[in-house]
Amino acid sequence: MIEVNERIDVPGTPRAVWDLLADPRAVVECVQGAALGDAHDDGSFDASLTVKFGPAKVTFRARVALELDAAAMAGHVSSRGKDNQGGTRFRATMTFRVAPHEDAPGSTVAIEARVEIAGRLATVVEGGASLVVKRMTADFSKRLAARCAQPSAA
Amino acid sequence: MKVYQRLAAAFKAEGVSHVFGLMGDGNMYWMHELDKLGVKLLEVRHEGAGLGMADGWARATHTPGVATATCGPGVTQLATAFVTAARAQSPLVAFCGEHPTSDDEYNQRLDQSRFAAGCEAGFVRLATADAADDAVRKAFYLAKLESRPIMLSAPMDVQQKEFDDDDPYKPSSTLLPPRAGMPDPAMLEKAAGIVAGSKKPVIVVGRGAKWSGAGEAVLKLAGRIGALVATSLMAKTWLAEDEYHVGVSGTYATRTAMQLFEEADCVIGVGASLNRYTTEHGYLYPNARYVHLDSKPHVMMSGGRSADCYLQTDAKAGVEALESLLAKRAFKQTGFRTGEVKERLANALDDRAEFKLEPGTADPRPVCLALDEMVPAEYALYTGSGASAGFSNILFSRRRPVVLASHFFGCIGQMMPAAMGAVMAAGNKPGLLVDGDASIMMHLAEFETMVRYDMPLLIVVMNNQMLGAEYYKLDVHKMNAGLAAIPTPDLGAVAVAMGGRGKLARSVEDVRTAVAEWVKKPGPMMIDLRISRSVVTLPYRRIHYGKDE
Repeated sequence: MIEVNERIDVPGTPRAVWDLLADPRAVVECVQGAALGDAHDDGSFDASLTVKFGPAKVTFRARVALELDAAAMAGHVSSRGKDNQGGTRFRATMTFRVAPHEDAPGSTVAIEARVEIAGRLATVVEGGASLVVKRMTADFSKRLAARCAQPSAA
Repeated sequence: MKVYQRLAAAFKAEGVSHVFGLMGDGNMYWMHELDKLGVKLLEVRHEGAGLGMADGWARATHTPGVATATCGPGVTQLATAFVTAARAQSPLVAFCGEHPTSDDEYNQRLDQSRFAAGCEAGFVRLATADAADDAVRKAFYLAKLESRPIMLSAPMDVQQKEFDDDDPYKPSSTLLPPRAGMPDPAMLEKAAGIVAGSKKPVIVVGRGAKWSGAGEAVLKLAGRIGALVATSLMAKTWLAEDEYHVGVSGTYATRTAMQLFEEADCVIGVGASLNRYTTEHGYLYPNARYVHLDSKPHVMMSGGRSADCYLQTDAKAGVEALESLLAKRAFKQTGFRTGEVKERLANALDDRAEFKLEPGTADPRPVCLALDEMVPAEYALYTGSGASAGFSNILFSRRRPVVLASHFFGCIGQMMPAAMGAVMAAGNKPGLLVDGDASIMMHLAEFETMVRYDMPLLIVVMNNQMLGAEYYKLDVHKMNAGLAAIPTPDLGAVAVAMGGRGKLARSVEDVRTAVAEWVKKPGPMMIDLRISRSVVTLPYRRIHYGKDE
């Protein structure tokens, strides 16, 4: 189990940041290697994510469900899927909440995520997987902040 | 004639010239007879090490190695070496004494058939005096046919009975079937279709290709279809003279090789099992179709997959047939064999990651490169297991007549005995063993065996005074890595005390000086090289630290 607990400071009002995070297309653009697929009637959608574990690239295909609470500016994302060779499964959940920054203008996004990787890849990546996920989270934070700094998000 | 005498004569008739083991009252009469017959007995300090030597003999020659142990406690010492040999698919016969059939309360009693089964070894029991020939023949037959270790268990009292038959012994070779031959024509057509439809093929060769003598055929096919040549770890550096040789396919691949594999659209496995390590569960070749040539009826690849086209064939015959069919179709392409790829491969071994070395320690990476350069190419290379293998299994690149790597059972300590057996199998030709400190400490007593038989083996101990794998894993998990740090004495001084040559080295220059001395006059020698703990191997950087290097 890989756990992520992050607080990301981003420019922009909480409402603008919330609007961005409530749009799956915008979020996917902040995740390197991610792409959005078809949307389903139940509100879930398909997505793919290519991750580099060392020099090897692995593409995961996932079904993603997003629950949003606009009043609380909070969301819950759950996804499960497997890699394109079928040997590795993963399950991930993430909750996020947008709030005004306590000491400065802008917003803070609190993220809590849990990722479970099972199957063949787990033996190849061992401890490195959590570092890869942490690096991806840091990269996501950077991209999200950059996105929020764009005039349309202000 | 006594049964033990007939048993010894049968071993001699099977072509046995060397036996590795330790004498006890369950095997000593048989050993005494072997000595009279001119078979060389190599007395070791631990039965397991003796079996490890027979395993090394088998791996180097692809013919049965022979080990021996006395009954009961001698047999239980064989456990790890047996499993290692079984996983290595090494043909070998272990002659073991067994407690007397008439004494169920004998203090060295052991249910040796159950022990053998638990150790993944085959089992043949000498039940009666009359069955002496049958038992030996069956043991060698099974060892060769199934390519695995077989325990021949001979009760002490049966060995002392009379054997009355004077007919010559009929060796196991008279029972064995011929080798696998040509591939099925329809499957060959299918394989040619897959290969001709590819733009970027990779040929992965394993031990089976080497044993079959398929080298020239592989290079001819690679030239025709524009393929990269890679090896399994077990065939490391084989065919390295090819300018599009990318080294090992698997965990010990260079970053350049991995990037090229990702582009591959076809993998042709020749005498290689294409297991989880060779293809990293298939992740190394995400876009490839597979053609698989092997002498077995079928080989399941990593992840329970079957190749898109499987050919049961002798490796050499199969590759030649595939190449000539493609030639008949006038198929030829550049594929991977371009100037750009050659340029990328030229620097594939460069590892520019910088680490701060602790005082008095060396960076193991330039040491491996220096050893590969200084130790003549006609000498063998043996690489150990554990963390240090992450340096040696990548950085040695010269083709050598024998290159053996560990890893069959994931245990440490087994390569030193295997290297000793392989040195003997090569007619006492010099060889280099590179292994970690915990491995060498485990069977350190056998250095004295090396000295006693004047084995020209140079051991370079990559000594970071710790259990490397555990140290880095504990470090990654932010736990007390110091628990895995275990100091050693000066192993160079230990080697000298045991009658060999030895040096303590703390720099590449120290190693160069010592190796030059050994190359001038090869003999039993150990270099205790103190290496830095801060230098992490490439595989560990990827696996444990998630780095793209």
